Amino acid sequence: MSSLPQFLANGMVFSCIIVLGAIGLSLVYSIADFANFAHGDLMTVGAFGALVGGRYFEGAFPGADVSVFGLPVSFYLALLAGMAVGAVVAVLTERIVYRPMDAGSIELLITSIGVALSYRALVQLQFGAGRRSYDIGRGGPIDFFRETLGIGMTSRSLVIVTLTFVLVVALHLLLQYTTLGRKMRATSDNPSLAKVSGIRTENVVVAMWIIGGALAAAGGVFLGLDTIVRPRMGFDILLVVFAAVILGGIGSVYGAMLGGFVIGMTHELTPVIPLVGVEYDSAVAFILMVIILLVRPSGIMGGEAA
Amino acid sequence: MSAAATLPVVGALNSTERNVLIGLAVFFGLLFVSMLAGVIQPRYLFFLLSLAGMYVLLTMGLNVQWGYAGLINFSVAAFWGIGAYCAALVTASNSPLGLELHPVFGLVAAVVVSALVAVLIGIPTLRLREDYLAIATLGLAEVVRLLILNEEQWTNGSAGVSGIPRLFEGLPFDSVIRNFYVVLGLIVVVYLFLRRVHQSPWGRVLRTIRADEDLAEALGKDTYAFKMQAFVLGSVIMAAAGVFYVHLNLYLGPDDLEPIQTFYVWIAVILGGTGSNRGAMIGGLTVVAILEGTRFLNTAVIPAGVDVAPLRLLFVGLLIILVIRYREEGLLPPQHELVAGGVADEKGGGPDE
Repeated sequence: MSSLPQFLANGMVFSCIIVLGAIGLSLVYSIADFANFAHGDLMTVGAFGALVGGRYFEGAFPGADVSVFGLPVSFYLALLAGMAVGAVVAVLTERIVYRPMDAGSIELLITSIGVALSYRALVQLQFGAGRRSYDIGRGGPIDFFRETLGIGMTSRSLVIVTLTFVLVVALHLLLQYTTLGRKMRATSDNPSLAKVSGIRTENVVVAMWIIGGALAAAGGVFLGLDTIVRPRMGFDILLVVFAAVILGGIGSVYGAMLGGFVIGMTHELTPVIPLVGVEYDSAVAFILMVIILLVRPSGIMGGEAA
Repeated sequence: MSAAATLPVVGALNSTERNVLIGLAVFFGLLFVSMLAGVIQPRYLFFLLSLAGMYVLLTMGLNVQWGYAGLINFSVAAFWGIGAYCAALVTASNSPLGLELHPVFGLVAAVVVSALVAVLIGIPTLRLREDYLAIATLGLAEVVRLLILNEEQWTNGSAGVSGIPRLFEGLPFDSVIRNFYVVLGLIVVVYLFLRRVHQSPWGRVLRTIRADEDLAEALGKDTYAFKMQAFVLGSVIMAAAGVFYVHLNLYLGPDDLEPIQTFYVWIAVILGGTGSNRGAMIGGLTVVAILEGTRFLNTAVIPAGVDVAPLRLLFVGLLIILVIRYREEGLLPPQHELVAGGVADEKGGGPDE
């Protein structure tokens, strides 16, 4: 199972996780105007939220074990629980920590490091430092993909890709066709102008944290489903998510989607690159980011990068 | 800034500084008493003080970058690790390089390599917004750690390096006392050097860049070059701290390069007072007090079964948030700034300043 199509399939799955993380990070960057280093650990919080949710919903009512697309119904409910936890934690953090601070973006950036460490410490206090999983049977590769494309694609991977697609399309529709979306785009473009036009920017900021937190949590749950749930999972992936945001152009949601796709693919295609070992997959994403900084610091779809 | 209105006499202590001084005296008094009472062994106490000295060096290094020039470096652990690994690999008896040279060569190698890496990372990032540097340096730290972990033929990988020689083997003191004197000497040299540098025209330009980069540009200064110089200087100081560490600890492994090390040093800088080298001393001491104090708690206060590592992490995290929120200038801010205000003052700046 180490052929190019297989790597591409793995890349699709990993890209989805990165895209979900990158969207939230980019939203915060554009509206709250700082690099949120706690975003990775927000993904961890979501993953553990779903872990608790999974325990709660497992066998809680008749039909919870019914399998939909190869995963039990209780998992989908746990995913929703994880996203809710991510959103609530994000909003609470904004209320308690970021909003009362009358500080510039650099002070907020350093504060977000403190927030990241606190998230991880609390998760570790509650669940220990060990590895967990969602206790869902590891179904084998789906026959259809094996026979037609020659790749191993499990139902987990398929669910991750499908749900990410649904979430991304939903976000696109929200941004383009709803009043909230228009307000968000306006606030991101020019906060002062949005404010004098009568938009309650505080509410927009809260909405942005809810969306960013929920998507980050979904990314964390998918990462936990694809690999394993552990307290450092989010921090370890944060850099790759940042690489995606910078590649796409800071502040651009659609850039984050594209950047997440490219970086996720590169990450999983590391085995194909000659002379570079698999253990350097994160390093390759980082080198790519540095090249972007040298060649086009504003990213693929970004504006200025003064 | 209210400090500008009632400018204190240079050298005189204000009330905060007096409190800090009293706190320090009490702290050292307690340490001394507990040493006499036999709670802390004298050798261990000197080891802790040397470790604190190393953190003071690291803190002063970061202070050059963040305090003087406003550069956000999240790869303190990497530059420290580069210095430490250079020294260890060049001098240790079980190093895969098999050189076993005198520690002086370790220091030279550490300075050269860390300066080179600093230039390489500075080229793509120092021209851009400051948050790019934060992200890129965090990435660099991870790459350095991965390289050290995986290139076993050069670094021994996860087994780490041991068999590192002690410093000044010939002198007639105990090794812990020697280490303490060495770090004390290093701190004095670096402190005096940085104080001189800070007051020089070069330091003045750096502080102008931190307060208002456009202003510095408008005055015809090549801000990129100045930032690069500050970045390299700070990184070299961090590498020197790493060199000292391997000769203190006599063992070095890739786990020592975890990113949390970087944030310990950040805590020290922020708590002590950004841009203040006296503050760096307080910060370095505080960090070791936190690290070793929580280890002590483990046996004394907390019931068995509670893991102390996440508690320490939580403490560090909350400390970062609270200091930035309530006391951004730190405990011992610089006494007199030639350029009014700092980064935080950009929005203020009334006519009375």
